Amino acid sequence: MSVTEEMLAAYADGELDGEDKAAVEAAIADDPALARSVEAHRALKARLAAHYAPLTGEAVPDRLAALLQPDAMPAKLGGGGEVVSFAAERQRRGLAPVLRRWAPIAGPAIAASLVLAILQPWQGGAPEGYARGNLAAALDTQLAASQPADAKTRILLSFERKGGGLCRAWRGADTGGIACHDQTGWKIERQFALSEAGRTEFRQAGSDADLLAAAQDMAAGGALDAESERAARDRDWLP
Amino acid sequence: MPPFVSSGRKAQTLSQSFEKQVLDLLPRLRRFAIGLAGSPADGDDLCQMTIERALARRDQWQEGTRLDSWMYRIMRNIFIDEGRATTRRRETFVAEDAGLAVGADGAQEAVVELSMVDRAMARLPDEQREAVLLVMVEGWSYKEAAEIVGCPVGTLNSRLVRGRDALLALLENVR
Repeated sequence: MSVTEEMLAAYADGELDGEDKAAVEAAIADDPALARSVEAHRALKARLAAHYAPLTGEAVPDRLAALLQPDAMPAKLGGGGEVVSFAAERQRRGLAPVLRRWAPIAGPAIAASLVLAILQPWQGGAPEGYARGNLAAALDTQLAASQPADAKTRILLSFERKGGGLCRAWRGADTGGIACHDQTGWKIERQFALSEAGRTEFRQAGSDADLLAAAQDMAAGGALDAESERAARDRDWLP
Repeated sequence: MPPFVSSGRKAQTLSQSFEKQVLDLLPRLRRFAIGLAGSPADGDDLCQMTIERALARRDQWQEGTRLDSWMYRIMRNIFIDEGRATTRRRETFVAEDAGLAVGADGAQEAVVELSMVDRAMARLPDEQREAVLLVMVEGWSYKEAAEIVGCPVGTLNSRLVRGRDALLALLENVR
């Protein structure tokens, strides 16, 4: 029986028995090159295992663990109930209560944030007023220059705001806005609800223009170019 | 007639244990995801999509069967189905990326070593990289890995050999 590359690798992985195993062992005994090959397979396996092993020792990111909290219920709509449940949830988890700071945000934006609460049903990852779920993930990882053309949430641009800190403007199917990064996460600074009618080309252009105008008001300079944006992501959006 | 647990209560017990079990699997799933996707950021995105799909389809998981291989299968399917869009991104960044962030505080040699493995892995075709990860990192048998991938054992074996040969060639100069 001739020994194939597949058999050698399988032997190195302890996957062979019976006739096949005996055949490989006989071949190895005759040919030092085959023995070295088996050694190389085992060394490679040990090296890969050692390379990836530290990852299992890392803390699982909160946003992932939060998806699996049994009591992470979708936000209830309406009045103070929502606030109470958030506060109670934070208290239960031993976190400091979050101050609500709606002052800079106009009335319609509050309504828009309720829209976001429906669209982002997984709670617990970030406090109220901060991006969660897919939006947070897009803000964390997506680059305006290289995002997939069909991304559900598109990053329009990234910029440095007056007074320091990085912000990003995004738009999804139903909402768009501007979020700025701080030590808690992506704080939603501006938000626009885009109605069904807003999906026509004309209104979309208007909504994007609104977003970009708002961004320009907040920005210290121009938008980050592709390289600066990637560099910002690589340092976790820290200033 | 055997005694029945009230169905509502049973459902709740099941759902809680399901979430807890997935939570317990997360460190391993995350390692596989980061290996597949090539970076912690993309890996965590893949993890998130996997968790969401698993929660949505939890009814399809048979209590008493292995949850881990079911989760791995979901993850690799998402990666293969949806990875196309991110392939371009990976190719763009792989050349410059310094590799996984692990070991960043360690010795300089360790950092170089990590990034060499990452770069070599990134150059493998998806199907070879997943075979390498499942068997050589995650410790699945060929049969189990073939079931996760959904291919014959022989196919998995040959993908694995091609992936190994490519890795050995890529890493030879820095051994």
